[in-house]
Amino acid sequence: MSLQNLILSLQHYWAGQGCYLAPSYDVEVGAGTMTPDTFFRVLGPRAWKVAYVQPSRRPTDGRFGDNPNRVQKHHQFQVIIKPSPADIQSIYLDSLKALGIDLAEHDLRFDEDDWESPSIGAWGVGWQVMLDGLEISQFTYFQQAGGIDVFPIPVEITYGLERLEMFLEGKDDIYDLQWSDDVTYRDLRLDEERQFSEYNFNQASVKGLREAFTGHEREAGQLIEKGLVLPAYDMCLKCSHTFNLLDARGAISVTERVKMIAQIRALVSRIAKDFTARETKPEGAR
Amino acid sequence: MEFLLEIMTEELPPSHVRSAVEDLQDKLGREFAAAQLPASSLKTFSSSRRLVVLAEIPAGQPDRDMVVTGPPKAAAFAADGSPTPAALGFARSKGARVEDLQVLTTERGEYMGLKTSVKGKPAAEIIPGLLPRVISSLSFPRMMRWGTGLFKFSRPIRNLLCLLGGRALVFSFEGLTSGGMTFGHKLRAPAPLLVDSFAAYREALKTHGVTIDAEERKAVILARISEHLTPIEAELYADPALLDKLASDIECPFVVMGAFAEEYLRLPLEILSTALREGMNVFSVVRGGKQLPLFLGVADTSGDPKGYIRKGNERVLKARLADARFFWEQDLKTGLKKRAPGLKNVVFQDKLGTYDDKTQRLKKIVAYLAEKAEAKSLAKDAVLAAELCKVDLITDMVREFPSLQGKAGGLYARAEGFPETAARAIYEHYQPVSLEDEPPESLGGALLSLADKLDTIVGVVGVGIQTTGSSDPFGLRRNAQGVCKIILDRRLALSFPRLVDKVMAAYGDKIKRPKAEVLSYITEFFAGRLRYIYEKQGYRYDLINAALGAGIENIHQTLLRLKALDALKASPQFEPFILMAKRVNNIVGGQSPSKVDPGLLTEKAEKDLYSTFSIIKTNSAPMLAKGDFVQAQKMVFRLQPLLDSFFEQVMVMAKESKLRKNRIGLLLGIKKILDPMADYSQVVVEGEKAKEKK
Repeated sequence: MSLQNLILSLQHYWAGQGCYLAPSYDVEVGAGTMTPDTFFRVLGPRAWKVAYVQPSRRPTDGRFGDNPNRVQKHHQFQVIIKPSPADIQSIYLDSLKALGIDLAEHDLRFDEDDWESPSIGAWGVGWQVMLDGLEISQFTYFQQAGGIDVFPIPVEITYGLERLEMFLEGKDDIYDLQWSDDVTYRDLRLDEERQFSEYNFNQASVKGLREAFTGHEREAGQLIEKGLVLPAYDMCLKCSHTFNLLDARGAISVTERVKMIAQIRALVSRIAKDFTARETKPEGAR
Repeated sequence: MEFLLEIMTEELPPSHVRSAVEDLQDKLGREFAAAQLPASSLKTFSSSRRLVVLAEIPAGQPDRDMVVTGPPKAAAFAADGSPTPAALGFARSKGARVEDLQVLTTERGEYMGLKTSVKGKPAAEIIPGLLPRVISSLSFPRMMRWGTGLFKFSRPIRNLLCLLGGRALVFSFEGLTSGGMTFGHKLRAPAPLLVDSFAAYREALKTHGVTIDAEERKAVILARISEHLTPIEAELYADPALLDKLASDIECPFVVMGAFAEEYLRLPLEILSTALREGMNVFSVVRGGKQLPLFLGVADTSGDPKGYIRKGNERVLKARLADARFFWEQDLKTGLKKRAPGLKNVVFQDKLGTYDDKTQRLKKIVAYLAEKAEAKSLAKDAVLAAELCKVDLITDMVREFPSLQGKAGGLYARAEGFPETAARAIYEHYQPVSLEDEPPESLGGALLSLADKLDTIVGVVGVGIQTTGSSDPFGLRRNAQGVCKIILDRRLALSFPRLVDKVMAAYGDKIKRPKAEVLSYITEFFAGRLRYIYEKQGYRYDLINAALGAGIENIHQTLLRLKALDALKASPQFEPFILMAKRVNNIVGGQSPSKVDPGLLTEKAEKDLYSTFSIIKTNSAPMLAKGDFVQAQKMVFRLQPLLDSFFEQVMVMAKESKLRKNRIGLLLGIKKILDPMADYSQVVVEGEKAKEKK
């Protein structure tokens, strides 16, 4: 099965579970959790089911294309279901069976792994799902987002697509994966990894990034004042990615790190508060 | 009657399982007893998805006789024997007929009353009411909600099985209804299983892939491990904590043995075993103390017919080891010295600057310590170690495996060819990380560890960060205990105030708090830590107070003092002497200093006392200097009979001020000998204890 078939299978499976399939979000994020399709859906009382592929950028994970496992951009398949159904674990297991994995022949474990994202004030309780020792998914019951207790409780399932595909293809090198029958991961991504690793670690303008961070941060604040929480949240995502790039450039001290994360979190908390207040108002008042 | 409760959940964190079943057992036991259904036996079982309690309880509450007293017999019946309104009213209020009333003989005379027997309720009626309360009261280090419920637990509860005397016991809890059904292994046999006894439950689970007894799972794991290892004459690298964790993390124990390429054995053992344990939760395999290129993992399954599990784990491990080797090689390529300037970007503490600043201080402090510990030959290597000891914080290896801090630095220093003394010191300089941990084996490691810990303590106290009961963000208690442990272990004769002073000097103007304030806070803090250490070692609290009360200028001496007090506490001279020392203290307390003039001594008793005092004064000084507190103590015991006669025969508070001052001067001289030995006023003696009680 190629990576694109893996994506198609998961989309098919989760659409069958009633999820709407969201397009990938077009602002850089470090994880599928950060996009509005998760962040805003987990807030407020409305029930949601959503699934989507999200390219996830982690500049410090770049290895110039030299490492068979680590890349500065990978892909996640993200599922959010709110409220969490009682049989969600078996629904998840069935998704693996749908990929042709005979679970009776493998060791599948739910290993304690609580999750936390300080910059968006979010945390949850759950597991990393291990298949024969390989982490293939994160499985999390959200408890807080934007510093607010969420209710009802959403469940988040995140498949690491490259990891899972390496398992399915039995490959040791990410670049050997088949994206489609004719195109390999190497064809598509190797040059990108090399170029972006060089950019992330050596070329990104520290001065420009610092200015961008300050600018986005200021703009987010102004947008919140005007009640434009969705664009304000985009600004926070930009802050977060800018921060990650500065980190890759080795330009952030420990104290600065704490301060910048706190800045982003403060904005995101205000956004979450305002958004939740609107969501809980009766329909006509929105 | 057999009672069985199974709370079935999604996978619990292994660290929650044991305390949860124990808690469940305790609380059920208490509730049963309170409901007059005392359990004659209570047992627990558990797996990654089940908390189980098995109990033997009575089928129902015992029947109880109840007696209600009514009106006095005399007031209950009229002269003609007919019941009075009082008797009729009483009987009616109890729903009884007046004929049912009986005569009760009480202390106050004869009364009419009603004896009834209250039927005990069957257990099946009572238990459904108490179980929801018990389950709700379980608490966990971290709790969660799920779905649309407000209830919090460790992980979602998915099924409740409850049996009493072979029948399902029904109660409702958070949207679930209990019954006689459970489920088999999640992947291997998830079918529902109806059971009617613990024996049937255990058996049904067994045939459906679940071993419900944690000890049995552990035994199976160990047996399977030895099946793998015996034929190849190898041994498990024992790791009981990992075994506990893995046995709690599964339902169906299976052991997989895999291999990794021999080339990875070239990695230092510390790094290899950390990558195996922390990265993969697998055991290392050794033969004659040497690691083999094998590992043992625990799987939650009954077999690996196609070898997928082994191969999968091998593949992941290979990537992990490749990472570790990549870090090792990359880190070595840069080298510690070249990497060191990077510490300028790593903040140690906001107001105290970077790790580079800390490094510069450590160099000064460790040089001072080497001089004071009479280890000048070590100074050069110790300073080099100080210069490099924090660099591993910015290596890839320590970023990936933080628990390797220090060790990684030491290994790199060795591999880069730095002197072994320096490499060793770096390797050991976080030790001891707890009171149970070993202090550094090398003197260089000990000195660097002291320097590092004191630097942190003095700095954090110096900028006014408070350490309180629950808040100790810089681990000052652990650090201070480490300092004490090293000093006591190596019997280092260091002046504590001067050491603190030296560290403060190294900070320069970064510390704004007045010196005297910092020193007194830290002294108090260390006294508290020493008290904690000595109490843990089982010394008497009042002797500890006495030993510490004499000051902690020299930390090692506090232990010598304490040991002397402890050794002599049973001596017949001890208590009379303590009482005498207290008397001396009381008399001279608040008196202005004065000196004794032998020419002014008039009475025999004071002359005798003075002569012994002079001898003891001359002889005890060198003993104290050597730290021989036992001999010094024994010697001052000799003052006791002389002091006794002195107090009996001599008027200290003489009318003549010259004589009075002279006698007080003599007692002050004695106090001056006693003071460095202990604060005797803190010692509690038998006679006083009796007084305290009154």
